[in-house]
Amino acid sequence: MWEKQYAEKAFDLIKELERSNESIPEFQDEEVRQILEEVKAIYEENVAQAATISNSGDKTLWPLLNYRHAALQRNKRCLLAYLYERLRRIRCLRWEYGPVIPPEIKANLCEPEINYFNNYSKSLASYMLSIGDGEGIDLTTDLRPPKALYVEVRCIEEYGKFELEDGEVINLTKNSQHYLPRQQIEALIRQGILEHIVQ
Amino acid sequence: MSLADVRDDLNISDEDDQNLSDEEELITAQKVLENLENAWLNEQNCPDILPHQTEMLELMLGQISHMDENMKSLDKNDFRFIAHKMELERVRYIITSYLRTRLKKIEKFTKHILIEEDSRDDEHKRLSEEETQYAREFHQGICSHFNQVALQYMPPNLQGTDEKQMIVRPNLLSHIYLKAKKDVASVVVGADDEEVDLVAGSQHIIPYQLISDLVLSGKAQLI
Repeated sequence: MWEKQYAEKAFDLIKELERSNESIPEFQDEEVRQILEEVKAIYEENVAQAATISNSGDKTLWPLLNYRHAALQRNKRCLLAYLYERLRRIRCLRWEYGPVIPPEIKANLCEPEINYFNNYSKSLASYMLSIGDGEGIDLTTDLRPPKALYVEVRCIEEYGKFELEDGEVINLTKNSQHYLPRQQIEALIRQGILEHIVQ
Repeated sequence: MSLADVRDDLNISDEDDQNLSDEEELITAQKVLENLENAWLNEQNCPDILPHQTEMLELMLGQISHMDENMKSLDKNDFRFIAHKMELERVRYIITSYLRTRLKKIEKFTKHILIEEDSRDDEHKRLSEEETQYAREFHQGICSHFNQVALQYMPPNLQGTDEKQMIVRPNLLSHIYLKAKKDVASVVVGADDEEVDLVAGSQHIIPYQLISDLVLSGKAQLI
């Protein structure tokens, strides 16, 4: 009877991540645990069998041993690919939202992932600060070639007071429209608070 | 509006720059920008990471803050102010885009780049010190995450993270567009030892690896 294939779960993990329409779906804690258990079980079978082989000298079990080893490696590979792709998406958060993860996304991350984000954020920040003789340069702005100094924007979320570099304070209320320096408000546009009005 | 015009309007003469550049070697701001632009284009179109341009970068950043300072004295509603500011923003974009492109490569090919970097001697390092540190921290971060979440629960023979198959390498044989800046005779293109003479100003599509030395020596520009 056909039961289930080795490493099927690990492969499902990746497929689910790919299919999900959320940017970062919830961390599959339970699945990861099951995969690790499968790995352990396969490994123990192999150890037991290897012992049998060396005791009896019966080489007919060799192919099975190799087969299980391949299953182990496939499990490892799939699991790491899953983690790696999530890390890649987590890094995008840093560029998109800045050093604080939005709470609705944070709820989907596991503890080590949050740690990873914080370390990445720190490492990127200290790199950016080190450029140009300690003056630093923010690489997360100026993401697109500049077309104009000022852009017309509409506020799509209540934000409140926002202070410009020259000290002027503007009030960003919902649905209000403003004409503002692009460089200073680029981050707000990416966070979805302001919307660039294109004529 | 070019950077030179901006400088003229702001009364920055090249003499002011002497303290900016290295002792005897004089280089104009226009030339620095040109070098940076070329480096930026090369980096964007090259599958591998190229030698860093820290010196050019620092000169340019110095220029920018210098000009920013001078612009404070200009009237904000003056048309020249707007034109100047725009030009500076363009330069700033080139710089950030250049550095971002490099970071992206470092993040993608971390281990490969680190291995290559370790095999180079001090004069031929391609990463700046800060980039090297960033790359190491980046690699460390991924490894420890793998370890913490998965590998430590696996049998000992599966715990390694330095296996060959885990290294992501750039495809150095991918085709690139290039423009020859100088005449180069008999460049080998293709596996069958076919040779082509590059004429200055001519454009070609060639696998990167075959002409990488021309890019590094500045005889060709990627476009």
